[in-house]
Amino acid sequence: MRVTVCFYSYFKDLTGCAQTTEALPDGSTLDALFHKLMLRFPKLAGMQKSTLMAVGVDYQDRTCVLKEGDEVSLFPPVQGG
Amino acid sequence: MKRQLTLTTEPIDEPALLAQRSLSNDMGAVVCFLGVVRGTQANAHIRALEYEVFQRMAEHQINLLFDEMAKRWPIESVRLVHRVGLVKVNEPSLWVEVVAPHRGEAFAACQWLIDEIKRVVPIWKKPVMGDG
Repeated sequence: MRVTVCFYSYFKDLTGCAQTTEALPDGSTLDALFHKLMLRFPKLAGMQKSTLMAVGVDYQDRTCVLKEGDEVSLFPPVQGG
Repeated sequence: MKRQLTLTTEPIDEPALLAQRSLSNDMGAVVCFLGVVRGTQANAHIRALEYEVFQRMAEHQINLLFDEMAKRWPIESVRLVHRVGLVKVNEPSLWVEVVAPHRGEAFAACQWLIDEIKRVVPIWKKPVMGDG
């Protein structure tokens, strides 16, 4: 399956892009996606503990099972206000 | 609970927002909060903050917070305006108004909402350096 991955804030600088796609085996979790992304974008490795993840417009934890066409967003802690 | 949410690149027009205020006869408290961009960050002078937003998710998350407010307090209305894009020092980046029967719930709900915005709403800010 393929999923779309969007990066926000300084994650765009760490990866050099705002959006990419990733191919994963069916049944893969967010955690598996993150580990695959770390191979492509090694600078993400330093952000493992602080990375927030969303699927669509809802936060999800790393056990979330992805499905074809999901839009995943990765970003650092938020700073509104 | 009435709700109004605006994420905008335009300056926050306080007089216009105040002119649009409406409250029923049973309401006894209106709490307004204005968050303003400070001129220093980590001991360095800044000229502005550049706010980035993941708009669809921010709107969704704020509406979830509004839902939770309605469960916790007898709020009649909440209005929230958040600037995105470039916001200069001394300009407001956030405006919140909570209308409730009494000050206790109005203050508590407003404080809670702002704390939660800072915790869950996908907005980020980057300092723009210099005095210009």
